[in-house]
Amino acid sequence: MRRPGGGRVKVGPVSFYDWMLALHLLAAFSIAAALVLYSVLVVAGRRMDSLEQTRVLFRVAPIGGPLIGAGMVLVIVLGIVLAIDSDDFQVWDVWVIAAIVLWAILGEVGRRSGEYYTATQKLAERGGDGVEGEVLARLRAPTGGRLHYATVVVFLLLLLDMIFKPWA
Amino acid sequence: MTVLAAIRPDDINVALLVHVFGAMVLVGALVTAATAGIVGWRDEAATLRRLSYKTLLFVAFPAFIVMRIGAEWIYTKEQLDELPEDPDWVGIGYVTSDLGGILLLLALILGGIGLRQSRTGGGGLLKASSVIATLLVAVYIIAVWAMGAKPS
Repeated sequence: MRRPGGGRVKVGPVSFYDWMLALHLLAAFSIAAALVLYSVLVVAGRRMDSLEQTRVLFRVAPIGGPLIGAGMVLVIVLGIVLAIDSDDFQVWDVWVIAAIVLWAILGEVGRRSGEYYTATQKLAERGGDGVEGEVLARLRAPTGGRLHYATVVVFLLLLLDMIFKPWA
Repeated sequence: MTVLAAIRPDDINVALLVHVFGAMVLVGALVTAATAGIVGWRDEAATLRRLSYKTLLFVAFPAFIVMRIGAEWIYTKEQLDELPEDPDWVGIGYVTSDLGGILLLLALILGGIGLRQSRTGGGGLLKASSVIATLLVAVYIIAVWAMGAKPS
C-alpha cells in the first residue's frame, strides 16, 4: 500500500462546488452523529433499572437536537445549491426528488420519535409516585424503539439514494 | 486530479457506501463518547464515563475498521494506487485515519484500564479516554471536509 508522497500533505485550492459538497457532507454527518447518539441512548435506556439512571442518561440527549436540526436544514439547502450549480444533475432529477421526499419523511418520523422520548424525559424529570415504573416501561416499550429505528432506516435509504443515484 | 476526483464509476458505489457508512457511525460514536464523557465529567458515579468508553469499544472501533476497509477498497477500485503521487485529499484521508486510529487505540487502552479502576473508585483514565474522543471528533471533521472538498 502506497502512502502520500513523502508523508507531506499540502492543501490545494477548493472550488465553490467542492466547498458546498464538503459542507453538505458535514451536514449529513451531523445528522448521522445525532442518530448514532440516539441509538446508543435507546439501547442503553432499555437496560436502565432506576429513575436516577435514566435521568443521568437523558443528560446526554440535548446535544442531538442541534446536531440533527442544523444538519437537516443545511443538508437540504446545500443540496439544492449543489443541484443548481452542477451541470451534471438537476433539482428535477428522479434521485434528487427522491432525496427531497426521503428528507421530508426523515423529518416527520424523527419528529415523532423525538416527541416520544422528550415526553419520557419530562416524565423522568417531574418524578413522583409510580413515575419510575412508567418511565422504565416507556424506555422498554417497542414504540419508541420502532420510531427511532424507522428514522435510521429512512436515513440509510437517503444515503443509498445519494450514493447510487438511481435513474441518474 | 480534480477530474479524477470527479469521476465516480458505478462499480465503486458499494465500496463508497461501506466507507461512508463506517465513517458516519465512527463520527457518531465519537460524538456520543465525547458528549457522555464531558457531561459526566464531574459526576461521582462513573455511569456516563463508562457509557463513553463502551461506545468507543463497541461502536467506534468496529466502525473504524469498516471505514478503513471501504477506504482501501475505493483506493484500489479507483486505481489511485497507479498515480505517480496521491492527490492531496487522499493524503489528508490517510494522515487523519492513521492518526485517528492510533488515538482511538490509545483511548481504548486507557479507557479499559480506567474502567477497571472505576470499580474501585478511580476513573481518571476514563476521563482521558473521553478527552481523546473529543480530539478525534475534530480530527475526523477535517477528514470529512477533505473527502468532500477534495483539495487538489
